[in-house]
Order: sequence, then C-alpha cells, then structure tokens
Amino acid sequence: MVRVYQYEAFDRTFVNERVAEFRDQTRRFLAGELSEDEFRPLRLRNGLYIQTHAPMLRVAIPYGMLSSTQLRMLAHIARHYDRDYGHFSTRQNIQFNWPKLEQVPDILAELATVDMHAIQTSGNCIRNITTDHLAGVAADELEDPRPWCELIRQWSTLHPEFNYLPRKFKIAVTGAASDRAVSAVHDIGVHLVRGPDGVNGFEILCGGGLGRMPIIGKRIREWLPAAELLAYLEAILRVYNSHGRRDNIHRARIKVLVKSLGVAEFARQVEREYAANRAFAPQVSAAQIARLRASFTPPPYQLLSDGDPTPGAGAAFVAWYRHNTRAHKVSGYRAVFVSLKKHGEAPGDMTSGQMLGLADLADRHSFGEVRVTHDQNLVLADVPQHTLAALHRSLAELGLATPNIGTLTDMIACPGLDFCSLANAGTIGVARQIHAQFDDFDYLYDLGEIQVKMSGCMNACGHHHVGHIGILGVDKRGEEWYQITLGGSASGEVRLGEVIGPSVPKAQVAATLERIVEVYLERRHDADESFLQTVRRLGLAPFKERVYAQDAVAA
Amino acid sequence: MRKTLWRRELRADAWRYPGEDGTGEPVLTLAGLLQAAAEGRLARTGVGVSLGPTDNVELLAPLVERLALIVVQFEKSGDGRGFSQAQLLRQRVGYGGELRAGGAVSRDHLFLLARCGFDAFDLDPGEDLEAARAQLERYSVAYQGAADTLVHPRRREEFAA
Repeated sequence: MVRVYQYEAFDRTFVNERVAEFRDQTRRFLAGELSEDEFRPLRLRNGLYIQTHAPMLRVAIPYGMLSSTQLRMLAHIARHYDRDYGHFSTRQNIQFNWPKLEQVPDILAELATVDMHAIQTSGNCIRNITTDHLAGVAADELEDPRPWCELIRQWSTLHPEFNYLPRKFKIAVTGAASDRAVSAVHDIGVHLVRGPDGVNGFEILCGGGLGRMPIIGKRIREWLPAAELLAYLEAILRVYNSHGRRDNIHRARIKVLVKSLGVAEFARQVEREYAANRAFAPQVSAAQIARLRASFTPPPYQLLSDGDPTPGAGAAFVAWYRHNTRAHKVSGYRAVFVSLKKHGEAPGDMTSGQMLGLADLADRHSFGEVRVTHDQNLVLADVPQHTLAALHRSLAELGLATPNIGTLTDMIACPGLDFCSLANAGTIGVARQIHAQFDDFDYLYDLGEIQVKMSGCMNACGHHHVGHIGILGVDKRGEEWYQITLGGSASGEVRLGEVIGPSVPKAQVAATLERIVEVYLERRHDADESFLQTVRRLGLAPFKERVYAQDAVAA
Repeated sequence: MRKTLWRRELRADAWRYPGEDGTGEPVLTLAGLLQAAAEGRLARTGVGVSLGPTDNVELLAPLVERLALIVVQFEKSGDGRGFSQAQLLRQRVGYGGELRAGGAVSRDHLFLLARCGFDAFDLDPGEDLEAARAQLERYSVAYQGAADTLVHPRRREEFAA
C-alpha cells in the first residue's frame, strides 16, 4: 500500500460526479449556452485557466503526496494531451500548459481513474492543503500532519457554504518544530503542538499571505483541542465569508480583514462564532481520524543501520549525497531530493519520460511514493542508504540528479510571461541567466544555503518576499525590470525581505546577484556564517552600495 | 412573472418583492420588518422578508414564528454571503419556512444552495426547468454536514453527527 489517502467507493463516486458535472458545463460553454463570465468561476474551480497561449490545467496533488501510479498518469496526460511536460507549482500541484479546452473533461476522467482531480485548485475557494514535504520521516516531527491535511481536504472539498469566498484561501499544516510548509504566509497556518496535558492539539495562525500586501500570520489560538479543528476552521471561514471585502479584489484576502479589525477583535469574532455554532459545528471523532491515519502508517521499513556511503565513492555521488539527501528518522534510510532545477531548464518542469522513469525508481527505492515540495522539487522520502548509489546513477541518467538542493540555483520561479497572463516578466529566461552565471558548483557550495525566489508579478506565486534573495518582475513602460529584496526567510523565523533599491534591467539580474554574493563572501565571519545570517547582521547598506556603485547597473 | 422553483416544482408566485408593483402579498425589507415589529404592527403569521448580503440574519430570531418567506437576494452571482446567511437561518435562527434564493441565481449553484438550506430558487426566465431539477441531484455524496433541507447527499458513516 502506498502512503497516499486510500480512496473508497464514496470518494470515487464523488470525483466521478464532479467530472460529469464539468463535462456538462464545458459542453454548454462550447455550445454557447454559458457565457465566458458564467463559465469562468466554474472552470476555475476545476483548475482550468485561460492563459496567454492556451488553457492551463492545474491538477491537485493533495499536500504533495503522489503514488507512482499517479505519477505515471501525469506522464500520460503530459504525453497525450499536452506538450510532453508538466510544471510543479509552489502549492505542491502540477500544471499543464497546453491542454485543449474540449479535452479537459476527458483529462479529468482519466485522472479520476487514479483517484486524482483538479477540484478547487483555483477560484475563490479553499485551495489545495499544503504541508511539510518531510511529513512522517522528519526527526523533528511531533506528529504526522497528513491525516489532518486529508481531514481538512475532505471538509473543504465542495464545502457548500465556503465555495464562493471573497478571494482564494490557502491553508498549510505542519507537525514539526521546523516549519517547512511556510505556514506563516498562509491564510490559515495550522500547527500541531503538545497541549497542557501532554495531548496534541493545534496552534492556529491567521491572516498571513504574500501578494501585494505581504504579512506574517498572527496567532489567534494558542491551543485548540484536536477534535475541534474543523469547528474552529468553520468559525474562521464564516467570519471571513460574511465580512471579508468583496468590493476590491486587492483588499479581499482574509489578511486585510484581520488587519482592519485588528488581530484581537478578529480573534474575538471567531471565538464568538465558534461558541455560538457548537450545536452544528463538526466534531472530529476518534473513528474518523483513525480511519485517515490508516492511510499514512509507516511503510514496512527493513532493519538497517546508518552508515556513511561516501568513503571511496566518486565525487559526483558525494556531492549529490551531501546536497540532495537528508537525514531520516529511521536508521538506514535517507530522504532524497530529486532536483527539478537542472541548469538551463525551467524550474519545476518535468518531462513525461522523467516522470515515468522516476515512477519506476519510486517503486524500486521508496515504497512507490513521491512527494512534491513547495520549492518545486520532488522527494523520495524513504530510500535505504545501501541503494543510494544505484538511485543516484539512475537519477543522473534521467537528468534529475543536479546536486544543487539548497544552493542559489535551486530557485523558485513562477512560469512568468511565457505562460501566465498575469505576469510582467519572463522569469524562466531570468532563471536561465542565473543558472549560466552560477554554473560552477564549487562556487555554489562555497556560497552555501541561499534561497532565491522569483515571481513574475505582484501576486507572488514565486514567494519572492520570503526568499533570502527575492526577485520580482515589474513592468516599466513595457520593459521588464526586476526588483531585488534581501533577508526574507520562509522557515525558522519567517521574515519578509526588504527592497534594496531601484529595480534593475533584465539583462543585469544575474550580475546583480553576483555583486550581492561577493559582498557576502567578503564580509562573512567565516564559511559557517550563512548568507542569511550575514545579511541580517550587516543590514542592506553594504549590498546596496555594491549593487548601485557607479560602475554597476544603471538604475 | 417570476419563475420560481419551489422544492422541485414550478410555483406561481403570490409575493411582491420590495420595489415591485402589483397585487401580491408584499415582502418587507429587514429594516421595514424590524420597524413594523417595534411598532407592534407586524402580522403574527405569513410575513415575507427580503434580505440583502450585509443583513444580519440573527436579528430575525425573535420573529421567526411569524415568517412564511425569506428571500436572500444575490446581487451578484456567486456572492458567498448568501450561503452563510442561509446556513445560519436554518441552523441558528431555526427558520423552517420557505427560504428562497433570489436575484442572480445560476443553475450551477443550485446544489450547493440547497445544501445550505435553500428550498426555493428564482430562476432566469430562460432557464431549462428539467436541467435545473437535475442539478439538484448532481451529487449523491458529500464530505461535510450542512443544513440540507431539500437535498440529502449520503455522508460517510463516521461523519454523521
């Protein structure tokens, strides 16, 4: 059994009924019975955008968990309905950029055969629930968050009251000490925490978000009993649905409501609604969560011992092992990152051949399971250490072993102007420029951990505010310029980066980054002081000075 | 002539909405209703009221026995506030009479509206009646509880309260 939520007849009935509904809606649109304005909210709730060149279909990967069977289906969709590749997004979903509108119902029907769908991957509703890509295998985890993610997924799926919110709504759940789900920049961040009696419950953050008005979420509940999770979420959503602004799309996210009411008043309203609704609010029963936990029991690990596989190994393997694998809570295993950041390729893109190859490797090495990370890589979470060398060779043959996880070239980039009708900027081209500038791996390793995050517009799909180096595409009189921020971070203490100064022209982005990291190399105490620590210690001034020096870029 | 689907049948409408001319029984605004109640001139039964998206439905709680019709007006298709108003009317206010979705009501919203407690819908004059009825049967299952006065999708055993 693969550790994704195990569908029953009930779930399949639901998804098939959804496909039938959308097939009917698409037919009516194509027949002229539904106008574009009428069809838009319906197609969006099925993941379908109309993009610059063609429709884009965003398929849900609930909290990033995929079985090898599902990955093979994604390969099939890419090959038969698209241009042979897909793009993994920062919401742990996958996007296909070239489907034909009239074929989308067939695509959804094919996805349904492997228990997949595109429900609520867009539109003003509760989107895909995201979580820690190391859920269940991280040593710093209090409790596996995935059963709770699935609980929220089911509750939020076609929730009759909350399908037409003022704006999109994103929920992230974490169960570990280190927040790898960026939960503080979500509409709701749900944290598993140990309660006063040693029982696990939840801490609730609310009102975080990126976009035009980046804000770190505020804690509105220090501790919530686990059985109350959905009741409390209902209270938050009802307050938001009733009072969130609907007159201005840029003021419609819950963060604006929280900010305008003040956190204390917002929390008071939520508590009032929570108390008033007790007779009707859902309670999470022990049977319900037990059934969900059964889908995420640990795989049948072998009894193995830890060993260092690097002595005597080749340099390529050693670099890959150091940078692309992580500790596992079970001895003898590692979590392996599959880099979708090969230099010269669009970050997050994967061909159907790579998908099929990786599905086989997941079966062979990692219990048939693959995870999507919010920074657009994949993870094989349960790889025995003694098979790492073989796995590395196979991944390298597929072009999936670029040893750059956590380095500057492991950057997030949204699809940008090449695909997205909202974008100002050709992010993929800039990613290539940065890849070319920083193509020396020894240099990258010397720079250490640097998270670069790039968005092609203010909507911040590329999370630029929380990049150690953030890059935002802006339009100036029809030309692409790029605004640089420094000092943001998405984990540990979440912080928003600060803009260093006027934006730079497209051709100068990589050179600007080069100047920034030069300052770091000159000014760090030693190689143990990370880029982020150095930026925090020095402040922006020395970086500004170098970037905007006379001989540098024209601002 | 309004085309109203009441439960699953077309029904001739005897009501006159605020601002409409004609001979039907007048439907009050919330402000009008509260004022009439305060002045002691609200009928004891058979009262109709029309709500806008910002109206606080909990104000109706003391008067709920007198009401025979509540129309929740959707100024824009897909304004989610009406969905919350309906759930609150059914669950918190305890209203059991006709709860009608008026204004910009799309056929594609009927199932979710019905789940929230609506049992009547003002349809577009051109709406296909059979298709509208069929939309009420669109889903046989649902993941979460709701007011569900008109439709009754099956829920998972352990979800049932």
